[in-house]
Amino acid sequence: MNNIGIIIGREYKERVYKKSFIITTILMPVLLLLLSAAPALIMRYGGTTKRNFAVIDKSGIIASKLVSDDEVEFTPLESSLQDALAANYEDDNYGVLYIGENILTDTNDAKLYTNSSSSVTIEANISKQIEKIIETERLKQYNIENLDKILEQVKASVHLTTFRNEKEKESTASSSAAASVVGMILGFILYFFLVIYGSIVMTSVIEEKNSRVLDVMISTVKPFQMMMGKILGVAAVAATQIIIWGAIIVLIASVVIPSIMPSDLMENVKAVQGGADIQALVAQSGAQGIEIDTSMLTAMASITDTGYITMILTTLFLFLIGGFLLYAALYAAIGASVDQAQDAQQLTIVITAPIIVAFVVLMMIMQDPNSQIVYWCSFIPFTSPIVMMGRIPVGIPTSEIITSLVLLYVTFIAAVWLSGKIYKIGVSMHGVKPSLKDLWRWLHY
Amino acid sequence: MNIIRAEHITKRFTAHTALDDVTVEIPQGSVYGLLGPNGAGKTTLIRIINRITMPDSGHVFFHDKEMTQDDVYRIGYLPEERGLYRKMKVGEQAIFLARLKGLSRHESLVRLKKWFNKFSIEDWWDKKVEDLSKGMAQKIQFIVTILHEPKLLIFDEPFSGFDPINANLLKEEILGLRDKGATVIFSTHNMSSVEEICDHITLINLSKNILSGNVDEIRHSHGNNIFTIQYRNAEKDLKEVLQNKCEILECSTDIMGQGLMKIHIENDSDIRPIISLANENSEIRSFTEIIPSMNDIFIRAVNGTL
Repeated sequence: MNNIGIIIGREYKERVYKKSFIITTILMPVLLLLLSAAPALIMRYGGTTKRNFAVIDKSGIIASKLVSDDEVEFTPLESSLQDALAANYEDDNYGVLYIGENILTDTNDAKLYTNSSSSVTIEANISKQIEKIIETERLKQYNIENLDKILEQVKASVHLTTFRNEKEKESTASSSAAASVVGMILGFILYFFLVIYGSIVMTSVIEEKNSRVLDVMISTVKPFQMMMGKILGVAAVAATQIIIWGAIIVLIASVVIPSIMPSDLMENVKAVQGGADIQALVAQSGAQGIEIDTSMLTAMASITDTGYITMILTTLFLFLIGGFLLYAALYAAIGASVDQAQDAQQLTIVITAPIIVAFVVLMMIMQDPNSQIVYWCSFIPFTSPIVMMGRIPVGIPTSEIITSLVLLYVTFIAAVWLSGKIYKIGVSMHGVKPSLKDLWRWLHY
Repeated sequence: MNIIRAEHITKRFTAHTALDDVTVEIPQGSVYGLLGPNGAGKTTLIRIINRITMPDSGHVFFHDKEMTQDDVYRIGYLPEERGLYRKMKVGEQAIFLARLKGLSRHESLVRLKKWFNKFSIEDWWDKKVEDLSKGMAQKIQFIVTILHEPKLLIFDEPFSGFDPINANLLKEEILGLRDKGATVIFSTHNMSSVEEICDHITLINLSKNILSGNVDEIRHSHGNNIFTIQYRNAEKDLKEVLQNKCEILECSTDIMGQGLMKIHIENDSDIRPIISLANENSEIRSFTEIIPSMNDIFIRAVNGTL
């Protein structure tokens, strides 16, 4: 046992004191943060240039009712289409909207000419506006009394507020969009950790074998101790990295985000976390002249809830370590049985296949977090770490998490036992390129 | 008593047989040389004794008991290729390996400092292994191998990569280890080292053990009854005097007037009459049997002319 400790120490020190480790550990969260902030920043500073459209309305009903906004400005124009088009040929932001005479009956008689490519949102905006105007005009033809009033009353706007229904706690408002994004990110993190750290174990075993360090080691320590030392040493490195990242994220969530967000928003976020009714809050704020986006509020409430984040990070940690240990044991066995990294490719398919399956299932969570395949894959040890990370933010019973974890760690022990057998034989094999069949045979020695 | 007895070891690889029914007995407290041309199977035998490779058939006994994995941990093994982490610093790596051998951090530091001092390589302590030359790495590896003072040491080609000065240093250390009670097994091509430090040898050629035994016995038993006589002030021509008694192979006189004669005597014949005759007719400076060098024996054995 003492030897395992010494080996763990070496493996750990070798990696953690490396410059590249220190750099990635500190830079990754910063990069992630920038990446997640990017859309917001682009929206804010990038903006789109305003586009001007001259509207030639032959029907005479549409032009006056078109509403200009930040993106497009409509200017009614009395001239022929050809003149309008030729007039501002040089201006990229200029365009001509042509409405046919019989637009009410022939809804396809509307044309948009632009000097540069238009965008989907602009086109959608314009056609939606025209549709609405036509609808209203058509309704008018029925000569209904107090039509405006009726329409006003009929209008509806729905903001869906979702609640996570948990037995243990009172229902808290949750944002399913935020949850599934968080789930995806966690799944990604796990995926990368398994693949990257797993292959670190494999290549380092191959390197030891090639440099004959193993020959020296094997006359000193048991192969099993060597393997465990390496796996646990690298696991400790992974744990260090994830703990540092976790700490940075918690710090950002609990200190940085609240301080850079507008204070009135944060007050509301706190109120939501405290269990306040969102509808009431929105109504109240509306009365004060502040518009609140409900989904934004719930998302913010989720991602700045330190308790929630800690829970997620803890489970992430447990699944990450469990999943890593399981896969690292397999990677180590393969590393020990080949002489060169190229030879390992054929064998690593066995490992990468379940990881990829897990990854595909992770994508399915976006659509339906409760489907059968997602459910079962979150228990099967080879896929459970990644899939479970996708499910957890959506909200699942603790008992399911525990069952999945227990299965994972039990499988790890079995995998270590089997890998140890392959490892023992593999490390002393030189000049052989074993197939899967060989590995299977080695298990029975 | 034998510390290691390997009996009827056979090991086949896909394309060839590395060892074919090889038996060796290694007496405790000896310096044992494993000789043989490249690819003879020396390293394979060493790896089998170390349990790095398993033989296809045959057994290895350690102190007359079938060898177990635990026995291996009492061996200090120096592989032919340097088995060191390339990216690690020398000192750190030496301490790591020493601790795996059961020394405490403090104890290994004390011993390492002593050895580094002895080899005057203190300033290598913070160098990375990849920055060392082959010979330098070999030195480190040697120190690490013997640091925990194992009773059995196995060195695979310990002299390769060493200059003559360091090779001598190494020879002295090997003899020093034997004097402290350790058994040393090593493989080599360096025949001079064999004569100087080996008590016993085994010569492996084409996967077979073709010669085994005590170095002195082997050399004497393979002598060809050739003697040299150094003499001066010959009263008669010594060549004429002796030519009826033995076969004269060479005869010469150097500028100082000293004669040198190489003679061959029939098996089992008495050399005393020859000595008397020579003595009567000249002043004998020396009369020596030429014992073949291990180098000669090696070449003859490998060529099948022994």
